[in-house]
Amino acid sequence: MKRFLIPASALVLCVAAASALAAPGTVLRNDKLYSQPNASSKVAASVPKGASVNILSKQGGWLRVTSGKSTGWIRLLSVRAGAGGLGGAGLGDVVGAATTRSDPSRVVAVAGLRGLNDEDLKQAKFNGEELARLNTWQATPAQARSFAAESGLTTANVAALPVPQSAKTSSPWEAN
Amino acid sequence: MKFKLMVLAVALVSFSGVASALDFGKLLEERINQELNKDKKTQPAQTSPAPDASQNTATPSPQAKQKIDAQQLGFALFGDYSPEEETRIGKQIAGNLLGAVPLVRDDKLQRYVNLVGNWVALQSGRKDISWHFGVLDTEDINAFASPGGYIFVTRGLYQRLNNEAELAGVLAHEIAHVTLKHHLKVLKQSSLIGALGQAASNKVKDSDQVVQNLIGNGAEIMARGLDKNAEFEADRVGIVFAARAGYDPWGLPEVLQDLAGLPAKDSRTSLLYKTHPHPADRLAELGEAVGSRLDAVHGKDLPGRFYHLR
Repeated sequence: MKRFLIPASALVLCVAAASALAAPGTVLRNDKLYSQPNASSKVAASVPKGASVNILSKQGGWLRVTSGKSTGWIRLLSVRAGAGGLGGAGLGDVVGAATTRSDPSRVVAVAGLRGLNDEDLKQAKFNGEELARLNTWQATPAQARSFAAESGLTTANVAALPVPQSAKTSSPWEAN
Repeated sequence: MKFKLMVLAVALVSFSGVASALDFGKLLEERINQELNKDKKTQPAQTSPAPDASQNTATPSPQAKQKIDAQQLGFALFGDYSPEEETRIGKQIAGNLLGAVPLVRDDKLQRYVNLVGNWVALQSGRKDISWHFGVLDTEDINAFASPGGYIFVTRGLYQRLNNEAELAGVLAHEIAHVTLKHHLKVLKQSSLIGALGQAASNKVKDSDQVVQNLIGNGAEIMARGLDKNAEFEADRVGIVFAARAGYDPWGLPEVLQDLAGLPAKDSRTSLLYKTHPHPADRLAELGEAVGSRLDAVHGKDLPGRFYHLR
């Protein structure tokens, strides 16, 4: 099992790097496939929650996907991309994600790659030297503004998002 | 007027505080241990937030002390921290975290991250703190926020990013944790807030130790994580901060998409998954909030300016 994980994760890394060309995905809510990447274009098909799709390309907040015989654009946030579950690549689905959730810690160590864990953090001793180093890189608001202006970033008026109804109830993933 | 009160408070402390400082520190320590143990056993039943709870359950301390608190520190009464107190807590946590994992030795990288982060933080509406950003030298895939504006992203996560909008999205999520004071609320929930207030107001000699006691061992508060609704909220608020900064709002969702594609059993994401809802859940939740609301927002990705780490 341990040996399998290394090539598996390497494969997933490659797939992700290839800008998700023909990557598998799962639909997260009942939604529509549009003929263009905007909601005023013609609806090509409806896709149910849980449906598998193939992600072909991406544009702004939209993904071009195939679902069954239909191809069209779906909102980026309506799809969970990539292969998730069970330590295997290409098998990402609801079950896989739920398994991830229910077994979050005590994972198999992937050779050469190590994550942080509770013990590292618990044992941590205050490091004033590193904190001082951090201070040397601090930017002022004025510097940040001119940095933004250099690449033409300007502020936009964007309203705060509402709290969705579902925030009160637990998600189906949680039920596992 | 404020200055006068401060003088008065300092004077009071120097008269009444010093003598009892050590005893008080000990009391506080016991109290904190008690609270921490209680926390471990069960979630505290009283979820009603701070002010009343903290007053009732705070260390039984002399009247004089409470007077000082009320004047010098608003939160014992009003349930709020001063920026100084917040910074002090955050600095301790940040320093501890840096004791577990050092910063990447790359001035250009760190400077770049600070510029992007500060620009996003300017849209957050919090002007009372000075922001610090750093990239931590670990393969672990994660990002951390500490009160007072200390924000970290790991090298493992940074190296997965493709453009500045994605970096902005990740930092914006952490900035949102700070502006929404999520970690401070966790500390309050364990009803330690009153105790901390007194510790901060007294010139206790080993006051850093008192703050340390409050936050637990080392930087373990970072491993405890927040409630999942706090994470969803930070996604929702962060995506808007990034969009207000002129970035493509899809930076954070794209990072979540990428993480959703990682294998389940990867030691690099074990802490992330322990402390956060699964990325697929976060995407779904964000989708509910966003709907068509960001359809008209067209920001920048800036892949060309993104600083690539070898």
